[in-house]
Amino acid sequence: MRLSHIGPNLKTIMDSSTRFLLLSLEGESFAIPITRLMEIAVSRDIQKDPKLSEVFEGKVEYRGKWIPVLNIKKILKFSGRSGAALLIVRGAKGMLGILVDAVIEIIDAERGPMPMPKGVLNPTLNYYSGIIRHKDGLVLLLNEDGLLP
Amino acid sequence: MTSSYLLFLLSERLFGVKLVGAIEILPWRTSRRVPLSFSYVEGVLDYRGVVYPVYNLARRLGIVRPDPIGFTATQAASAAQGQSIILLEENKAPFGIVVDSVVRMTKLEEPAEAREKARGIDPKYIKGFVTEEDQEILILDFERLLHAG
Repeated sequence: MRLSHIGPNLKTIMDSSTRFLLLSLEGESFAIPITRLMEIAVSRDIQKDPKLSEVFEGKVEYRGKWIPVLNIKKILKFSGRSGAALLIVRGAKGMLGILVDAVIEIIDAERGPMPMPKGVLNPTLNYYSGIIRHKDGLVLLLNEDGLLP
Repeated sequence: MTSSYLLFLLSERLFGVKLVGAIEILPWRTSRRVPLSFSYVEGVLDYRGVVYPVYNLARRLGIVRPDPIGFTATQAASAAQGQSIILLEENKAPFGIVVDSVVRMTKLEEPAEAREKARGIDPKYIKGFVTEEDQEILILDFERLLHAG
């Protein structure tokens, strides 16, 4: 395993429902709850696995176990190469790697997430768990479990 | 019996929306894009503490004129900047629509059936029409527009 750590051990950061990791995909800001984040790593040593569907970049060894690595840009129909930063997150179905372009910062939102308004997405899609306010804009909160095929 | 309506222009046609509750008219501004949203969704907009879904009404109604050859993205964006966003409510759900320009507020009689008058617009989205000063005003059925998928 050759995961290079580029951030602090985020597990030590106090859990809070208003604390989020702000990340970037093709210049747009998204976030995940900090409570789901286990680690930030450079995306090296991702091994292809033909058994995984095409939205997965492959698999990576993390703490002695192989976990799938999701190419989130492919799911959200972004063009461009898969991201260079690998987030290890804890999902409802187990650990998951997510490739993003860049990690921006950890933010404290003014308040917890607001629901996505009705009529924006097909209700069967569960890609976002809400919206948070940050500075002068809205940031979409990714639902790592809903992104899985 | 008359009711208050807000009249607006979209693709050189006059439309009316019945005024129920509060209404805001904003100069065009960028909404936060939501990847994988419905094609007629511009995005979500944060205004005075409320997150509004913003709909591209012309696209929803299928009356978007094709871009001229050589029309660049920059020019398209500047064309949008002349438009307005109307913030409304339907069944207590707030939403915004992008229109070419707001004309005026007026009192109108209840609209007559307009199935044969829709002219290129799906008649199920038209509640009816009213003629005022020789101008035909199409009254939209937002409940159907926003919930027909």
